[in-house]
Amino acid sequence: MRKKPSWHTEESSLDSVVPLDGEWMTSRRRFLSSIAGGRVDKVPAVSLSSVVTLDGMDLVDAHFPEAHLDAELMARLAATSHEQLDLDTVMPVFHSQLEASALGADTWWGEKDNWPAPKSHVLTDPEDFKLPNDYLKKPSFEAALGAISLLRKRYPDVAVVGKVYGAWSVGFQLVGIENWLMMTITEPEKIHRFLEVLLPASLMSARAQYEAGADVVMWCDHTNRELVSPETYVDFLLEQHREIASEIGGPSILHCCGETTDRIEYFAEAGWDAFHFESQVDPHVAKEIVGDRMSLMGNLNNPTTLFGGNYELVYDESMKVLESGVEGLAPEGSVPLGTTMETLKGMAAAARDYSNAHRTNGRLIQHELRVKDSGEKVS
Amino acid sequence: MSEISAISNETIRAEIEDFLDDPDEIQTAINLFSNASERMQLIAEAVIMGEDDEVDRITQAALEEGIDALEVMDDGLIAGMSIVGIKFRENFIFVPEVLVCARAMKAGMAHIEPILSSSGLMNKGTVVMGTVKGDLHDIGKNLCIMMLRGAGYTVVDLGVDTAPEEFIEAVKENESRVMGMSALLTTTMPNMGKTIEAFVDAGIRSEVGIMVGGAPVTDDFAESIGADAYGKDAIACVEAANSLSVAKPAKGSK
Repeated sequence: MRKKPSWHTEESSLDSVVPLDGEWMTSRRRFLSSIAGGRVDKVPAVSLSSVVTLDGMDLVDAHFPEAHLDAELMARLAATSHEQLDLDTVMPVFHSQLEASALGADTWWGEKDNWPAPKSHVLTDPEDFKLPNDYLKKPSFEAALGAISLLRKRYPDVAVVGKVYGAWSVGFQLVGIENWLMMTITEPEKIHRFLEVLLPASLMSARAQYEAGADVVMWCDHTNRELVSPETYVDFLLEQHREIASEIGGPSILHCCGETTDRIEYFAEAGWDAFHFESQVDPHVAKEIVGDRMSLMGNLNNPTTLFGGNYELVYDESMKVLESGVEGLAPEGSVPLGTTMETLKGMAAAARDYSNAHRTNGRLIQHELRVKDSGEKVS
Repeated sequence: MSEISAISNETIRAEIEDFLDDPDEIQTAINLFSNASERMQLIAEAVIMGEDDEVDRITQAALEEGIDALEVMDDGLIAGMSIVGIKFRENFIFVPEVLVCARAMKAGMAHIEPILSSSGLMNKGTVVMGTVKGDLHDIGKNLCIMMLRGAGYTVVDLGVDTAPEEFIEAVKENESRVMGMSALLTTTMPNMGKTIEAFVDAGIRSEVGIMVGGAPVTDDFAESIGADAYGKDAIACVEAANSLSVAKPAKGSK
């Protein structure tokens, strides 16, 4: 029999160790693990775009539009997703104009109950594009990077998510979406050139956000079925997205609005860690397509469930989404500002209850096999 | 009932065979094009192929030769765009292709509209159209406006980021009985409901038919906010305007 080491006592046997049970991970660890498709104690309920609401603004006295260009207000507002809604992430880049406004777009910063948007389109030729020397010092970046730093310091155990508009979506804003889309047919080489010259600006944005303290960056490039064919994604963006996946510098989530079922396969092939998707997509189908190649985050309906619904509806719809096996529960996109915090609380509650019912050995989540409409279980 | 072989234009025959599936739509297309002159079929073909220079050239030539502007619009431009609309609805083509075709149709309408406006023939009624407050997207709205004008409506385009009071003012000023709202973002869709509420508060809700549309908008959502109609695409928008116009005839009409 082996001699026991001198420090060994009766109390140091495994029998006396209280096993991990329930929720034992920090939000940050949980979310990072879910992005990589790893082991989690609970399916994270997260904010990836924006869960800012009018009542949230009043609660923390941080309002639009001031919060878009003030790091402290932005951080305070972003923190409501964790403090009030019990979500595992905080995401301060609420609006879509971070890069475009820093690149010279004339931006309307909106009102308390409306979102910022570009007022005019400033680019017609890719050769006219010039990245400003003080790009990351522009007001939109000062606020966003400042907010990310503050959140990192204040919430070491909560995942901080950044947001970037990719070259395609920045192109929409600088060139005009109608002009851009028409040029994919009439002048495709120009669009390729635009994508080439605009990409560094988006990559700089991502890297700056990681450096400021973001754990994960969500990259937005809008190539959904309502706009373009899957072939357009392949022709213009697949290779660039593959390049981004290897160069971005940290965990990344692709966001694409709308119906994307027919191109999720390509998103997975592009190498994104995760995909944030909208309610037009059946999460069961999405899961079947990607398997374990890419984590899925989504996809609660905004107008009907979150804005138009109540706590109970959000809870029930969240459960349905969770049953598909998504790695993260999230609203499909930025929630309408008139949504109430009370309604949104249904998300975290559902994630908790679902996870409690699916935690093997009290430790890790195991999703049940997906059940077909016939009741037959399938893998 | 005509047969497809009665259509002289080979491209149009191919378009009908390759892209139309609904028997009623197929027969409607066959009847339309088999009764259209070769010149009109050429215009329709150029619209379908997105050849704006060709549409411009052939339309101008046709009008100069005395062909009726309404015939050019209905049998050439709108007929061509109807095939485009079906292909878009069935996802054979997407927004970029539709934009190119719409540009082609616009090239023809640039010659037609002045003629029809001065003759008073564009008098199906006035439709007020706008993208809702906070939303700066207008692709869908612009396509709908083009199709509405092609269908004989006078359209007042309020542009983007349109506040409820702007919609109300335009409806009152133009005595329009049909109004359309567009939204491309789930975050701005609630403003459709707010606008409808504003019409209720203003006491004029019953005087105007309100239709809504836009990529994230659904039939269920339209019903939930009290809209009178939902248009999934530009063709459906015209159909909705037609049904609302009948339901709410213009002031002064018999």
